[in-house]
Amino acid sequence: MTLLQVAIAVAAGTFVGLDLASVPQAMFSRPIVAGLIGALATGHPLPGLAIGAILELFAMDTLPVGASRNPDWGPGSVAVGALAGAHAEGILASGLLGLVLVAVVAAWAGGWMSHAVRRANTDAVSATRAALEAGDAAAVRALQREGLLRDATRSFALTALALGLGDIVSGFFARSWAGPQTLAQVALVATSVGVALFAGVQLAGAGRQRLWFAGGIGAGVLAAAALLR
Amino acid sequence: MPGFGRVLARLFTIQAAWNYERMQGVGFGHAAEPALRSLDGGAGGERYKAALARQTRFFNAHPYFAGLAVGASVRAELDGEQPERIERLREALCGPLGSIGDRLFWASWLPTCAAAAVVAFVFGARIWAAVLFLALYNAAHLVCRVWALRAGWERGLQVAGALSSPALRWMGRVAAPLASVLVGAALPLAFVWQLRGAAGGARLAAALGVVVMAVLLRVARARAGGVVLAAVVLAVTGITGWLWW
Repeated sequence: MTLLQVAIAVAAGTFVGLDLASVPQAMFSRPIVAGLIGALATGHPLPGLAIGAILELFAMDTLPVGASRNPDWGPGSVAVGALAGAHAEGILASGLLGLVLVAVVAAWAGGWMSHAVRRANTDAVSATRAALEAGDAAAVRALQREGLLRDATRSFALTALALGLGDIVSGFFARSWAGPQTLAQVALVATSVGVALFAGVQLAGAGRQRLWFAGGIGAGVLAAAALLR
Repeated sequence: MPGFGRVLARLFTIQAAWNYERMQGVGFGHAAEPALRSLDGGAGGERYKAALARQTRFFNAHPYFAGLAVGASVRAELDGEQPERIERLREALCGPLGSIGDRLFWASWLPTCAAAAVVAFVFGARIWAAVLFLALYNAAHLVCRVWALRAGWERGLQVAGALSSPALRWMGRVAAPLASVLVGAALPLAFVWQLRGAAGGARLAAALGVVVMAVLLRVARARAGGVVLAAVVLAVTGITGWLWW
């Protein structure tokens, strides 16, 4: 990747990281979008979109409910999307496994970093309590600005780290992989579809809802069989 | 509502200063502030300051539905309602708005749109799959934001009635089954797409792996989430592939 492509990817990852909770929560941070955005930085969108679709299956397990600490899929997806786009000529299954592994670890780390940002926001609010209780609009604006800045810094760092780590790990897996490439392919399918299957079962809950889910799987099997022909 | 556009725009940043003390409270006050300037005495007046202090206190709900509480609180402030009633209103709305939003958006509409995008991608929609996702999801998202703020402003302290609207009840009935069907349909399609060109043995091994992964998650869920477990399985596979004899 060129320096300009890296800069665009990091800027995109920062924006996407902000989207998760701070502004505007329009789901640019979902992997299927973020992977595409990252790959657009390299001018080859399809590999990023493909890795985004795989990561989207993992992300189905993530419902960004309330105050819980959720994985942040956006910055990592942008980073690995950009790296996939940079290998537009094709990427080995083992290299792809390395990229997905880094995106998953980045999502987990992103959740912890969000927690740190929220704690820093809490400290700032505690320090400004008197001004808030006095109805000071300037204090409110300052807290909003600082919160945005903290989250932007988090997203920037997470994207940059995921870019660096993704390059190293996927390169290592692509070069030093001694086993069959099918092993990597099978592991990717088992983990991504397995996590999505579990998420679907959880989502469906109990009773009639599970029938809808089972019906959906049936329809999917028929459609998949049609695709295979 | 005075400053409707500015309040609506600021609602998109309601979680910018999210914290463990007041949660969305600071963002709530920031969103309500442009409308509070219409209080007697204007911005900087005593009523304005007292109202802003109230509106920055603890609040937490679904971000898309928070506008309902902002609209209702601002209306109550401008109508000169008792401060205690306004505070009770904000507190009372937290639970229902959080619950409705989580159920409709996080647990239904988001998985529906994500699964639809995966299905569209597998069927060759390429970039349009991501565009479809954003368009579908945000059509509902934006309508909800505008409706919530408007409904809150129009109803004021009687805002609870908006939560039992027939449209919301209908969406509650339809959204969850739709999500289940689409997520279910996406799974076999994603499976086949990822294994295109693979041999029959690889397909069998992957199918077995999918079931093992789902069972592992069910067993270990309390100790490790899907993300951690997936990372462990991928890392172990990576090391195995590297050390392959």
